[in-house]
Amino acid sequence: MVPRLNPLTLLAAAAAVLVMTTAASSWAVSLTVASGAVALAAALGRARRVLLAGGAILAPFWLSLLVMHGLFYPEGRTVLAGWGPARVTAEGIGFAFDMGLRTSAFVLVLMLFSFSVRVPDLVAALATLRLPPQFGYVLASTLMLAPIIAVRLHTVRQAQESRGLVVEKGLGSRLKAVRLQMVPLVLGLVHDAGTRAQALDARGFRRAGPRTSYREVHDSAAQRFFRWAILLLAGAAVVLRIVASASGGGPA
Amino acid sequence: MSQPSLTLPTPGQQEGRNRRLLELLGAAAIAATFLFLVLTQPADIAGGLGSVSALVALGGFLLGAALLIVGVLPTLPTSTVVLMPVALVLNIVLGQLMGTSGLPFYFDAIGTVLIAVLAGPAAGAATGALSSIVWSFINPTVLPFAAGAALIGFLAGTAARYGLFRRFYLAPVAGFATGILAGVVSAPIAAFVFGGTSGAGTGAIVSAFRAMGDTLLAAITKQALISDPMDKAIVFAIAAMLVYALPRRTTFQFPFVRRCNVLAGKKPVQKDS
Repeated sequence: MVPRLNPLTLLAAAAAVLVMTTAASSWAVSLTVASGAVALAAALGRARRVLLAGGAILAPFWLSLLVMHGLFYPEGRTVLAGWGPARVTAEGIGFAFDMGLRTSAFVLVLMLFSFSVRVPDLVAALATLRLPPQFGYVLASTLMLAPIIAVRLHTVRQAQESRGLVVEKGLGSRLKAVRLQMVPLVLGLVHDAGTRAQALDARGFRRAGPRTSYREVHDSAAQRFFRWAILLLAGAAVVLRIVASASGGGPA
Repeated sequence: MSQPSLTLPTPGQQEGRNRRLLELLGAAAIAATFLFLVLTQPADIAGGLGSVSALVALGGFLLGAALLIVGVLPTLPTSTVVLMPVALVLNIVLGQLMGTSGLPFYFDAIGTVLIAVLAGPAAGAATGALSSIVWSFINPTVLPFAAGAALIGFLAGTAARYGLFRRFYLAPVAGFATGILAGVVSAPIAAFVFGGTSGAGTGAIVSAFRAMGDTLLAAITKQALISDPMDKAIVFAIAAMLVYALPRRTTFQFPFVRRCNVLAGKKPVQKDS
């Protein structure tokens, strides 16, 4: 179902939902969007991955927010409990929940996007937007290089260990170990990049103008209309919010 | 059969001027956004979420970063573009290596600084912005910080341009100054978009300033002024170490290094040009 959708449609939908959530600035909307993202992920069979990856980012964030605003919120008036300088205020807890839910919506929607989109399709679709082709190259190449570099780091570590590298407890030993692994890793990668640059240049990588693509990305008039409509809607939400906060004599 | 010319067309002057305009617009968008946030914040944050501030912060900084990328990328030589994915992965992998070594730092800009030293301020700024965008596929919370990352790359390149990487002890000094500016620019994002910081340690420092009655933006800015300069000083020192560990044959392939005399030591004998 998702592969039939153009990656740009997914991107526009994710961006518009996030803009509207931020403009609405209400915990109910944030909660709805966050649970909507999880429900959609579940419908696509990706709930476990989205929740695991999102949870790893959001759990420390929530903890930090609750400690920060739950205990110290000088603007708070309704004191629920207090120990010396630390005061639990209703306003502080409310602020932590508002911000936490909004960030949860932000992270979950973008996680769902990045787990649903196929990078080669996205790169091909971005090329139709007349973005510089280098952008697509860097995006795709980074996401594909990561596992290769991880393997290479492992090889470097094994090679250094076979030459007698032993990581001990002390700071000096650890720094030395990091140096012994980083320098060969970076040297090798920079050398490889030089070789790749020559190969790409020989194939006209810097050439401006239209290019042919082996990958046909599905698109339709309905999707194009949807993209424009949802982005306009997001723009309208922003304008409404600015008007509301300007005429209200302050922020809502 | 009439064939079109087989050689690649050279980009015209007009196009170069448009690119330059995009770069300037991007930098202006970032500066204007920052000024707006700092000037309007006292009235905004006390009222609650500060929704307009969050929208302005996200929109302005991301627009600036996008303009920088679109303006800079096509002007870079292929050798630099090809190095960028390597730099972005370094930002992530070296950060993880540091994590497993148990040291209390997060070095997520080493690749950015490395490119900035080898290829100049514009390339550094584009790398920083791209780093945030690509990384957001794995961790979306870094996306709004694209402008701060671009600033780090730009400042690192500027430091290299004016010879601060020619002496090894000057690199951390440049990093310290960069950390101050980058921290101040990133603080409004943490305050208005996320309402706090994500780490436990940084959160504790922010809480301490909040307990003394600071506004949220002031507390986060002070926290950034404690953490960021130290982190960037170390990152710049590591980048300097890596650049000097590279064989001279490799570093002098970069026109920026040759033209601006970025590194100490004599140039190798040039066969071409």
